[in-house]
Amino acid sequence: MSKSGKKKSKISTKVIYVFLSILAVVYLLPLLWVIYVSLKDDKTLFVSPWALPEHLMIENYSFAWTAGKLGVATLNSAIVCGVTLLLCLLVGSMAAFAIGRMRWKLSGAMMTYFLTGMMIPVHCILIPVFTRFSKMHLTNSLTGLILPYLTLSLPITIFIMTGFFQSLPNELFESACIDGCSIYRSFTHIALPLSRTGLFVTGLMTFVANWNELLLAMVFISDDNKKTLPVSLSKFVGPYNTNYSQMFAAIVIAIIPTIVVYCMFSNQIVDGLTAGAVKG
Amino acid sequence: MDKLLRDKKAIFVFVAPAFLLFTFVLFIPICQSVYYSFCEYNALTKPKFIGFENYRQLFTIDRTMKIALKNSMFFLIFSVVTQLIAGLVLAALLTNIKKGRDFFKNVYYLPCVLSSAALGLLWMFVFTPKLGINQVLAQFGIKGPLWLMDTKGFIILPMWVIASVSLWQYVGQSMMLYMAQISGISNSLYEASYIDGCTKAQSFRYITLPLIRPMVATAMSLNAIGSLKFFDLIFNMTEGGPNHMTDVLATHLYQQGFKYFKYGYASAIGTILLVLCLIVTFIINKFVKVDNYEM
Repeated sequence: MSKSGKKKSKISTKVIYVFLSILAVVYLLPLLWVIYVSLKDDKTLFVSPWALPEHLMIENYSFAWTAGKLGVATLNSAIVCGVTLLLCLLVGSMAAFAIGRMRWKLSGAMMTYFLTGMMIPVHCILIPVFTRFSKMHLTNSLTGLILPYLTLSLPITIFIMTGFFQSLPNELFESACIDGCSIYRSFTHIALPLSRTGLFVTGLMTFVANWNELLLAMVFISDDNKKTLPVSLSKFVGPYNTNYSQMFAAIVIAIIPTIVVYCMFSNQIVDGLTAGAVKG
Repeated sequence: MDKLLRDKKAIFVFVAPAFLLFTFVLFIPICQSVYYSFCEYNALTKPKFIGFENYRQLFTIDRTMKIALKNSMFFLIFSVVTQLIAGLVLAALLTNIKKGRDFFKNVYYLPCVLSSAALGLLWMFVFTPKLGINQVLAQFGIKGPLWLMDTKGFIILPMWVIASVSLWQYVGQSMMLYMAQISGISNSLYEASYIDGCTKAQSFRYITLPLIRPMVATAMSLNAIGSLKFFDLIFNMTEGGPNHMTDVLATHLYQQGFKYFKYGYASAIGTILLVLCLIVTFIINKFVKVDNYEM
């Protein structure tokens, strides 16, 4: 490369960095702004918007946590997402094992059946499932939320896990079989431990999707003590609330856990979710 | 071994839970939903078959449906096009730098894992008349527009605002998909092209672009279906208002179904949504997907 060419590429690298940095500011500034306002006193918010808060208003947080029921909501979200995650990995990988490793005529058809679920938007099943569940007294209960979440998470789980199980070498299972290992044992002791990456990827996708889900939770749950985080937040921050800094504190409470976890494992999370999306 | 893998009982035990859940919570409800869309059905009455009446009302009388369809189509086209361009540009830039690549990548991806409900509220505050952007503009003596309440034009300002916010939130995903594909391209291809006198732009055009085409199809269908299902951001930023001007199919369905409890009518909207999703997936797979190249 000639000398002028090198100089040119140096300048263009600088331009790239400037552009990327400005974009990073666009990404981080709103988040920082929310945290900043949440610590201010509501009365000074409009009078002196740029002044630093005189004393930190931690009360905003405690108010949102208790009166906004965000504490209960966080717990509910954790229960719903945790249970869904475990069940989904278990039920999903069981089906994936049968489809990917075992020999039966209908395994291809079964796979197609599960895969069609990926194209179906949740809105379409909202009304029938809601009417059925309210007859069974499953609305306003966390179980009623776990069931549809679990079902909607199954297609992607089965799809990814089937790929993982199929890639395992045959010899492993043959030798286990010679040693007298049952099919159930070879699933729990050989297939599952060897597919940890797959379990991580699908678990992550399931958890993130369900943690943030709003529509289904909003329709199914009307009892304040059963609401999940996105629902309680949307209710607390609404047209009837006039205290801005408390609403900002509520938003911060809702996103801070995710941000903390993301900062700790960002590379694994980004790569895991991308791997899942590529396969899906 | 073979006998073990053909064990009918074991297969049944493995598949049954997933199959039952899938059938009762997804497959049967879908069929019911399609049936309800031909029924007069609300919270108090039993479903009564009325043929295509719901659809007739939707397409002839319902003014909000027209707006919702228009907005959903705008949203679909906007997000497919902008995500494709912005995602590709970001992926190309990030693969060309060495220092700080992980930092930028992780920052741009962050909103993808955050709750759209919370981010919607956040951006609602950024665009409220008295706070956020307009407060900044006021410092310079500029009176900012009513970002989320303006109703002029064919595609009104709030829709552009919401569409941009959704681009902000989800472009990280497209970027990562393209980056994953680009990093799979063998370096020797680029080296060979540089020896032949290619510039960086040319090698991007003639090597990178053709080789990531399969991923373009994947990312596009993800974006397209995602934008048809789009609900959280709109619900929390404008709730479909002012005067239903920012309604999309999903918010219209929610209002008809769970505010007015017109289950049959809402099911018709849901069925239209389902059909649109299937059509869009079909079109994208038919026209964009190509065979994978050997890399």
